[in-house]
Amino acid sequence: MRRGATIAVAVIALGVSGVGAYQLATSPVEEVARWREIAWPFPRDGWPAGRAFRCEGACAGAELYVRAKRGFCNCDSGVADDDEVDRVADVDLISPRFAAVALGEEVGIGEMRGRARRYDLDMPDGVHRVAIGVAVSRRCDLFVAAAQGRGEASGVQRAALVFLETPEMKTWLTAALDGK
Amino acid sequence: MFRCVLTAAGLVLFASSAFVHAQKQTIGAPPEASNMKLVGTNDLQARSAYQPTIHHQGDRWIAYIGHHGGTDDVPAPVNPMTGKEEPNGTSIVDVTDPARPKYLRHLPGQEGKYESGGAQMVRVCDGKSLPKGDPNAVYLLRTFGSEAHEIWNVADPANPVLITRIAGLKDTHKSWWECDTGIAFLVSGAPDWRTRRMTQIYDFSDPAHPQKIRDFGLPGQEPGSTGAVPTELHGPISTGPNGNRVFFGYGTNKGGILQIVDRDKLLNGPKEPTPDNLRYPEISRMPMSAFNGAHTTFPMLDMPVAEFAEDKDGKTRDIVMIVDEAILNECGEARQMVWFADVTTETRPMMISSYTVPEASGQFCQRGGRFGSHSSNESMAPVYYKKMAFIAFFNAGVRALDIRDPYHPKEVGYFIPAITTATDKRCIPIEGGARCKVAIQTNNVETDDRGYIYIVDRANTGLHILELTGPARAAAGLPRN
Repeated sequence: MRRGATIAVAVIALGVSGVGAYQLATSPVEEVARWREIAWPFPRDGWPAGRAFRCEGACAGAELYVRAKRGFCNCDSGVADDDEVDRVADVDLISPRFAAVALGEEVGIGEMRGRARRYDLDMPDGVHRVAIGVAVSRRCDLFVAAAQGRGEASGVQRAALVFLETPEMKTWLTAALDGK
Repeated sequence: MFRCVLTAAGLVLFASSAFVHAQKQTIGAPPEASNMKLVGTNDLQARSAYQPTIHHQGDRWIAYIGHHGGTDDVPAPVNPMTGKEEPNGTSIVDVTDPARPKYLRHLPGQEGKYESGGAQMVRVCDGKSLPKGDPNAVYLLRTFGSEAHEIWNVADPANPVLITRIAGLKDTHKSWWECDTGIAFLVSGAPDWRTRRMTQIYDFSDPAHPQKIRDFGLPGQEPGSTGAVPTELHGPISTGPNGNRVFFGYGTNKGGILQIVDRDKLLNGPKEPTPDNLRYPEISRMPMSAFNGAHTTFPMLDMPVAEFAEDKDGKTRDIVMIVDEAILNECGEARQMVWFADVTTETRPMMISSYTVPEASGQFCQRGGRFGSHSSNESMAPVYYKKMAFIAFFNAGVRALDIRDPYHPKEVGYFIPAITTATDKRCIPIEGGARCKVAIQTNNVETDDRGYIYIVDRANTGLHILELTGPARAAAGLPRN
């Protein structure tokens, strides 16, 4: 009996976090978006590496890259315009050739506020992708997210923002902004 | 045996407390100094200070000091001369007698806190040196927070008069003004550009009638461009029509770029901000490590290098000193420091040496606030030019470097002011809140033609006027004091 309980707990733990996957059910009838953590795919730059995830299920093939950027000059005004998103959101890590397809919009992650914007991407191999950039601020620090996918940018953005609102991710990003 | 253990434990405790004490500045403790001596101070009304410019004006020496915005605790300090709360702006101080600086006037700046308000930058030109200036005027160019550039007539420094205002910007920063031609390289945020800070070039030869020449920046920053946006500008320094070069520094604490530009092509070339037109005046560009930015790019051209004196070629070198800016408290980033680039072969600039304060010499990562470089003096007066450089190093105070051999810069003096009751705290986030410490934050430094060194504090401790002593004074070639 005791061994069975132990196995059950282990299975649940593995299912929830052991493989780094997160389940996001938007409704009982919609397909589930699962974000599986992958290695940070970019070379070292001025900020420490963040975390990267690949979507399976509803947003299959999309990838999401998130990290804290500590040290941001607009401590009071925050992420005030779309140009700021173009500059800081790490979309250029995916490809330096991107073009915004629309004006951005205000978004929030937890108590942090900022903006998100959608882009068309020309990848180095000539493939066309969609991307989103998100930048929110906490005082003099930024939290940024960039995602790329093959489908509709709005779907990628929605799935990414829902994922970033999960308790696990909010706990992590708070720690990352605290420099931990 | 037990007594031995107790004694050992006591010694460990004593050593630990002494170590902690060494890391922390306390009010009333003397300044820390080597080969630099305090001459005089002014509290600058406890305003966070950025750029000082010292101007010889008639028979007086006047310090014009730009300020950052206010703090959360005191957004607009009271000016004791008016009895009113005033947003931080520009302090005007008579430093003719450096032992007794006399505060003349506070010129309020834009409302706002920290980087969002104030009037950080200041340059000064005599009307008689400008081609079409009023010969009786002395012109002060300053930023007005993030929204404007202003020119004031400060012929009577206690009663400035506004002459010109260029507004409608989304940011400003450390501009450059050639006093012999009137050409100004303004660090601006033009509303339609994709960066907060780029260059707007104006002809201020007649400050009452400014003429716009062009906008300039790195391709990718211009209106209508797409893709990655290059690092924003921090500040340019021009060598004027004779040197025909402008050295632009991009970046703060990351992704720095030194850009060398042909001044004549910049001013007279095609002006529409297309990628090709922006590339046209560029001679070369030296990207730095992603870990470091370029706050100040200070040119020192045609420097004789003693080690190379017998060489058939390359006896003199063109050097640019690049100073990064630390922005995070308590060493929360890669070290920001000082770099020397040999740009003699302009299309192949190369970093040749560097300098930083040894952290362990003062446990500076534990003292609180920022530790790392921020800025250098920008005066090219003969007293120190190409011989000595002064670097503002936040909680490590100001550092005097012997740069006569730029391949081997050597620290010859330092001064870390004492904190006062006005010194503001600096905090870092910790779980559930913040932990704060109080430490000096030497932000900027300038020198005057007499050899005095002026340092100002970002954490509201005010102005300290210094002079060199001992071997540092000898290295600069100054007479013994």
